Amino acid sequence: MTEGEVTGTRSLESFVDGDGRFVPHSRAQEIDANAAATGRVGEVVESSTTTLIAEARRLHHAPDFGAFVRVESDGRDLIGVVHNASTQSSEPNRRPMAYGKTEAELRAEQPQIFELLRTQFEVFVLGYLHDDSMVHLFPPQPARIHSFVFPCPVEQVLAVTEDPQFLRSLLEATGLPTDELLLATLRHALKGRADEAGETKAGQYLVRMGAELSRLLRDDYDRLSSLVRRITSWGQV
Amino acid sequence: MGKQNGNGHIISTRHRRGRVGVVTRGSLVEGLEMKLDAERNVEDMKAGKFVVIEGDKNDFFSMVTDMRLDATNSEILLHPPDRSDELLRQVLAGTGTYNIVSLRPMLMMPKDPMSRDFDDGPRPVKAIPSHFSLVQEAEEEDVTRIFGKEGDAEGKYFSIGSPLDMDTQVCIDMVRFAERSNGIFGKTGTGKSFLTRLVLSGLIHYDRAVNLIFDMHNEYGWKAMKESSGKQTSSFVKGLKQLFGDRVAIFSLDPKSTRARGIQPDHEVYISFDQIAVEDIAPLQDELKLNPTAVESAYLVYAIYKDAWLRTLLSLEGPDVEEFAGEIGAHAGSLVALHRKLKRLENFPFMVKKMEGADCVDRIMEHLDAGINVVLEFGQQTSMLCYLLVANVLARRIHETYVKKSERFYATQRPEDKPRQLMITIEEAHKFLNPSAAKQTIFGTIAREMRKYYVSLLIVDQRPSGIDDEVLSQIGTRITALLNDEKDIAAVLTGVNGTEGLRSVLASLDSKQQALVLGHAVPMPVVIKTREYGEEFYKAMGAESVQDADTRREQAEQERELLFGPE
Repeated sequence: MTEGEVTGTRSLESFVDGDGRFVPHSRAQEIDANAAATGRVGEVVESSTTTLIAEARRLHHAPDFGAFVRVESDGRDLIGVVHNASTQSSEPNRRPMAYGKTEAELRAEQPQIFELLRTQFEVFVLGYLHDDSMVHLFPPQPARIHSFVFPCPVEQVLAVTEDPQFLRSLLEATGLPTDELLLATLRHALKGRADEAGETKAGQYLVRMGAELSRLLRDDYDRLSSLVRRITSWGQV
Repeated sequence: MGKQNGNGHIISTRHRRGRVGVVTRGSLVEGLEMKLDAERNVEDMKAGKFVVIEGDKNDFFSMVTDMRLDATNSEILLHPPDRSDELLRQVLAGTGTYNIVSLRPMLMMPKDPMSRDFDDGPRPVKAIPSHFSLVQEAEEEDVTRIFGKEGDAEGKYFSIGSPLDMDTQVCIDMVRFAERSNGIFGKTGTGKSFLTRLVLSGLIHYDRAVNLIFDMHNEYGWKAMKESSGKQTSSFVKGLKQLFGDRVAIFSLDPKSTRARGIQPDHEVYISFDQIAVEDIAPLQDELKLNPTAVESAYLVYAIYKDAWLRTLLSLEGPDVEEFAGEIGAHAGSLVALHRKLKRLENFPFMVKKMEGADCVDRIMEHLDAGINVVLEFGQQTSMLCYLLVANVLARRIHETYVKKSERFYATQRPEDKPRQLMITIEEAHKFLNPSAAKQTIFGTIAREMRKYYVSLLIVDQRPSGIDDEVLSQIGTRITALLNDEKDIAAVLTGVNGTEGLRSVLASLDSKQQALVLGHAVPMPVVIKTREYGEEFYKAMGAESVQDADTRREQAEQERELLFGPE
């Protein structure tokens, strides 16, 4: 049974679930069924030592900006943060065009156009896990293509962010929206802590990370104070 | 607890609680700098606080002398965080902004108990700790190790207070204290009299020296007023006589005043004109406004009439003086002036033409020989002139006696001939020991060289800058309450090395109950909170506790029965 045949024999209703949402099918459907079981969010499609690009399991469902992800590759767990996500046509020569309709209408009338779109996200590699503890070094080998990408569970986020070294790694990376990324990762780290250890611990953690930032940005007080003010403006974590 | 060092020795690793920072820079000469830990509040680092630097091989006992706020980036100082920016301030604390505390290492002590120097105890600092040595708050054990503890077998140590923010004792070594002349300085109202009373109590209690106290303001013998700040009610504290009973005798120059205060003086003091030598007049130049030739004229009179010179001179009436000047070949104008000015002496009630009964100096000597401390009260005779004159006359003669006694002891070398160590307490010492007077008064001599004759001074003064440098440099132990004047501070620190840090400490003492102790009797300078002079102290000094009348009567009754049997 080939993909084309399946598509051809499907009734229009089968593309939409009970809530009127588009239900993926065929290759996507199979992938999705497996993925749902393992909890993976994407698959590596481009890889280098410092960054990798993964395709999201579901359209428009890349992990949050600044979220920590884990890539299983070569029996090693690589850890990175999501620093960019994009959605585009899967065919380089075909660009999506405007239809003047809402997404729901489009999904009902022309579900196939969503099949031609894909969401990709970029991950900046921070290091890898060794016996469940974080090694702040680039992995010896880049992630393999088609490795799967998983979101980090809270305990892993805590382990990875315990050492303020990740701040330095992010600050030193080039070509990233560094400040935004710093704030976003810190927010993830903080949220995990607030949930696990309580507000007081989270507050102490914040001061500790702030102190590290202050050391790293000792020549750039403006940048530091703007970062810290933005953190303060979150108010309650 | 211990761990092995490289040589297989056990190094004692004490578990301290109070880490305050790490040493970052410094030199032996200029002292060390410590970066304060971010979680420490700089306001807890008071000048004079006592800390221990843990070097690799030695512990360095040090004093906090200065603090500084600093920042890595001048931008921070130009745009300081807003008051509401609590997080930014917390973040910057210890990173962008930090505190530097200056430390002055005072003593070092090997950490390794197996080391050869360990048993020698703390020694002067000859090295500095390495980079990033930990700085800890001093603990009771450290203070005891350095200053000793009251109640030791030899009875050497006498507690005079506690270090800042600590409850443990700081002791002075009474043996060393009595050996040399000492000074108690401080602005008026900073507790000099209390400190003096405390130190005198220690000397008497441990019997380290017999004291002769020139008590200008009548505050040592019997009760004295306690200055209670803020409150309207002021209370009285016990004097030495009340604490030590028979071991203290009160002599009074003004028995009427002494009795009026409800005290029976043990002896009354009279001085005859014949006891006054020209040397006693010379230091009064300032007070009497004598000109230099006046003293020379006095010597001319002395040359002829010897001891009776003053009596003879004062017996003349105004017009006769010029004639008298002609007779002895003195300058008339000068002698007239001298005569006119010395006439003031006749007004003192304690001055008598001819001594009746025993000489008061002999009396005082008898007491001192018997180990009884003498407090000489001036009553209402509080004029500086009177004080200077009496102190000079008495001290000069006591000094002569002591010189003779010491010479006899040197000749015989018999222990029973050894004179008792005498300490003479003088107030307003700069009047006796200012650069011009120090060369003339007997106190200058005592301060400079009397150590070998078993006489030393306890100088109580509020204006140390007025005291001759040569005398100051000979002072063994200095106990200094707050001083503000730069000159006074410099004077107190004369003859002490490494004074830079101590200056700031001195100027920042509290105005009450705090003092800096430095010199011969303490191993290192230390700021103390003065020991409370109250019931507990009285008890420690062995004074009878305050009993109500009934208990006393009961006790007397019991003693009577013991003596004479039941009625």
